[in-house]
Amino acid sequence: MAENNSLRTQKLLVGIFSILLVIILIIVAFVEMKVTRDAKPVIEISGVNKNCVTCHTQKGIAVKAIDHWKQSLHAQQNISCVDCHTAKEGDFDAFYCPESDFLVARHPTPKDCAECHEQQVQEFSASKHAHQFWLIKNTDRSVFEIPIATKNGCEQCHHIGNLWPDQSVGECDACHPKHTFSKAVARQPETCGECHVGSDHPHIEIYLESKHGNIFRAQEKKLDLNYATKNNTPIPIDIPVCTTCHMDGNETQPMTHNVSERLAWESQSAWSFRTVWLEEKIGDWKMKRSRMEAICKSCHSPEFAEMYLLTADFTNLQYNEIRRMFVRWTKKLTENGTIKRLEKDGKFYSDPVLTGWDEVPEIAMYHAWHHEGRRFRHGAMMMGADYTQWHGIWDIQKGMVEMLTWAAEKGDSEAKRWVESTDPIKFAPYALFDIPGNPWGINVLSNTLPYVYNAYPDYWDLIYANVKTVYDHNLLSEKQWQMWEKKYKDKEHYLGYKYNADSVFKYYQDLDSKDTKAFTEQAVELKLPSKPFWIW
Amino acid sequence: MSGKFKSWFLQRFPIDTQKTSTVMEKIFIKEPIPKHMKYWYYALGATPLILFLIMVFTGILLTFYYIPSPAKAYESVVYITEEVSMGFWIRGIHRWGSNLMVIAMFLHMGRVFFTRGYRKPREINWVLGVLMLLVTLTLCFTGYSMIYNQLSYWATTVGTNMIKEIPLIGAPILYLLRGGEDVTANTLTRFFNLHIGFLPTILFILIIVHIIFVRMHGVAKLEDKEDEETYSFYPEHFYHTLIIGLFLLAVLSALTVIMPPGLGEQANPNVTPPHIKPEWYFFAVFSVLKFVPLKLGIYFFTALIIVLTFWPFFDDFIRRKWQVRRIHYWVGSLTIILFLFLTVFEIIVQ
Amino acid sequence: MDKESSPELTRRNFITKFVMSGGLIAGAVLLLRNSLSFIFPKIEPPLLRKLLIGKVGDLQPGQAQEIPFGESILYLINTKDGYKVFSSVCTHLGCIINWESYRSRFYCPCHKGIFNENGEVVEGPPPRPLDEFKVEIDKNLIYMWIEEKSGGLS
Repeated sequence: MAENNSLRTQKLLVGIFSILLVIILIIVAFVEMKVTRDAKPVIEISGVNKNCVTCHTQKGIAVKAIDHWKQSLHAQQNISCVDCHTAKEGDFDAFYCPESDFLVARHPTPKDCAECHEQQVQEFSASKHAHQFWLIKNTDRSVFEIPIATKNGCEQCHHIGNLWPDQSVGECDACHPKHTFSKAVARQPETCGECHVGSDHPHIEIYLESKHGNIFRAQEKKLDLNYATKNNTPIPIDIPVCTTCHMDGNETQPMTHNVSERLAWESQSAWSFRTVWLEEKIGDWKMKRSRMEAICKSCHSPEFAEMYLLTADFTNLQYNEIRRMFVRWTKKLTENGTIKRLEKDGKFYSDPVLTGWDEVPEIAMYHAWHHEGRRFRHGAMMMGADYTQWHGIWDIQKGMVEMLTWAAEKGDSEAKRWVESTDPIKFAPYALFDIPGNPWGINVLSNTLPYVYNAYPDYWDLIYANVKTVYDHNLLSEKQWQMWEKKYKDKEHYLGYKYNADSVFKYYQDLDSKDTKAFTEQAVELKLPSKPFWIW
Repeated sequence: MSGKFKSWFLQRFPIDTQKTSTVMEKIFIKEPIPKHMKYWYYALGATPLILFLIMVFTGILLTFYYIPSPAKAYESVVYITEEVSMGFWIRGIHRWGSNLMVIAMFLHMGRVFFTRGYRKPREINWVLGVLMLLVTLTLCFTGYSMIYNQLSYWATTVGTNMIKEIPLIGAPILYLLRGGEDVTANTLTRFFNLHIGFLPTILFILIIVHIIFVRMHGVAKLEDKEDEETYSFYPEHFYHTLIIGLFLLAVLSALTVIMPPGLGEQANPNVTPPHIKPEWYFFAVFSVLKFVPLKLGIYFFTALIIVLTFWPFFDDFIRRKWQVRRIHYWVGSLTIILFLFLTVFEIIVQ
Repeated sequence: MDKESSPELTRRNFITKFVMSGGLIAGAVLLLRNSLSFIFPKIEPPLLRKLLIGKVGDLQPGQAQEIPFGESILYLINTKDGYKVFSSVCTHLGCIINWESYRSRFYCPCHKGIFNENGEVVEGPPPRPLDEFKVEIDKNLIYMWIEEKSGGLS
């Protein structure tokens, strides 16, 4: 009997273990061990290109270029050496590969790229990147910045708009580096920053100082900038790089290689003006601004984006008034002979409204445009507060003081009167633009401070008249004018006047008086036993 | 119809069915199993056999996809593990099965050792058993090198280098195994051949002979209990074996999910990774070789293997000469303690 | 002995037997199923790659052009029904066919197989038409789709 029981137990055990096995096997069947790996595509080198690669590799000539090409989308699509480096006898850049009978092109130009990327090349050549302005409207800078410097300096960056012997314009690999032609690299802000950097237009610095750039840096590692944007799809990254706003498409905007399609101002110019660049093809400034706003509104509320840009628009308008003052002085001083123009054989090499290098007012005027003036304006357009403020208006005003001090020393009575004046309004020898409030919020007390707000009871009426005038001159859109007017009418709110936060402010005033007491004791009133080593 | 077929069949294959079934019954069904085998600990002999069958089955399946070439080996293992449906399961069973097989053999040998199951007249079967252990360990070693990742590649390099230390025949054997001076494509194909062809065949033959010996001698009864009662193989011991088999399959399958076989990094003959380790069952050997000069170590282990192989004769000799009855207890316990100590030491060290 | 035959015991025997054989059968079936799915793995659709092979207008109607891709040669042909791409491997015994523009046909020199411009067999031993690749026209560029060779591990 016991025998039988133990046998049954064993049979039961067999059953139990079978069921256990079944359960485990079912689990096993649903386990997915697959790890997603990026398959590295096999690059085929076809036809005559095999000769190129073999010979270049053997001789060690530009081998990395081949490695770069292998990473490109071109390589994956079987687009190889000769497809771009194709040449006909007589082409400006045709040459025979040494020790061979291969006729190849040394410089593939936009014309070659346009074989496939026609739209992109067309868009590019309709952009200000392709504009020849630096050769058209300029004094000959090389009198001051000798040719070898302008070659390695000016020309290197302005090569992006190179005018080739084959009539094509531009240099695609300025942004899409040879031979990967990587979209990701082209989108990297530092690519734009190769040229848009430094004292004359510190756009990369402005970007990196802005909230946009800061978040980009923080998220950079997980961003994949190698995305397609041509099909009116949402922007796939959460933070804009340069191209996001200036080139990439979103749901409403097509992607474009014409960086001028979304810019409403010529704010690099000596005078800020509403752009007329290829108006008949790509629309007036309002059309261009609406394109930019459409991108802004992918992330921002319409109200914020519009208010932000309107506020920045006033820095452009204000800039013109400041410049008017500088030009008035350089012109006046040139006309009365205090400033002498560079001249040879009846041709002038300096210009009171563009450049001059040897007299203080000329330098101040030039800087107030080409350096500080741009920083002032572009800092405002792209959220670079520091560039509008310290690298902008501060330096401009400093230039003005230097210019007028110089003129006074040279005996100009007007300038002398200015120098000797003690009126605080003397630093605003120009008309003003303003907007009640700011895009970010309401500050209860900051608007109680400015001198002009307090000293001129009719301040906002003067500003109103100025703004109305630029609106009437089509420098502001209808919508912008309405927005300004709304702020104007409700300025007690926007300037924060109708709110009271005195008790909170008092708290900070008390803290500040403690600070004052502290530094007075610790520094101001500190007396040391030793006398100064130099006795005045 | 079936009658016709039966006669047709029997004409071509003249089998005496009557006699066959009698013999089968005598050999298998009615095989007398001593009572003590009802304790699980005494029934471990079937475990390595079951595992061997599982290994053969999964091994054959793995060869469907494995490519024994340095360029493709690692890739194909990745392919098996990640792409082929149930690939990780088959590979996991094969990998964990090898570990369990070594453990099972250790346990089986331990049982036989401590009960002196090898005693006269069964000495030769012990010798066969040790040979099977050695073949199994070699199978493990060659199998490990199949993966061709960094660790397995360098374990192969270091492991085969030791052979060189064997006097006289060492160098030629090394050359033979590696198919050249270094671990190359030749080594991989040779190891592959050993792993799927030569060694399994040897092991299979040894297993058959081992079982035949067991049947001829009968299962060893416990010492001092030579009059033990017996019961027949079927049904009880059969179920016993079946349960072990099911249990093993379940454990192995579970292990493939809980601890899936890893892949490591692809082998790079130019970069030796900082920590090369063999599989755990070589830890003890590995540990000793670290502390003694290599030559001495090799001699020591060669001697150890010889003693282990011919232990039944040594044991008998010692018992007769010095009249010590419990010598195998001391030797066995000491070996286990040392083995465990060195293995654990090596685990802690890393 | 009579206890043995009691209905309760028979039922227990039956349940035991049922659990055991059911479990065993289910286990065996699953083992077989999992092993078979290993032997006959799911073949994933091959990765396709897009190749740029030409520009619309570069090739006269009725003309063909060799497209080298790696070690192999493909033919792009501008037929009445649009652009087509064919493999240059003869479907008979794998020789490489040639395009004969003056006869608008592909000719295989090995066993005189002849294919027309649509890749169909006109004459000779080839058992089936030439292998054809999918062609895609994007604006004025001609692309074709080809199976990705298994890439290395990155």
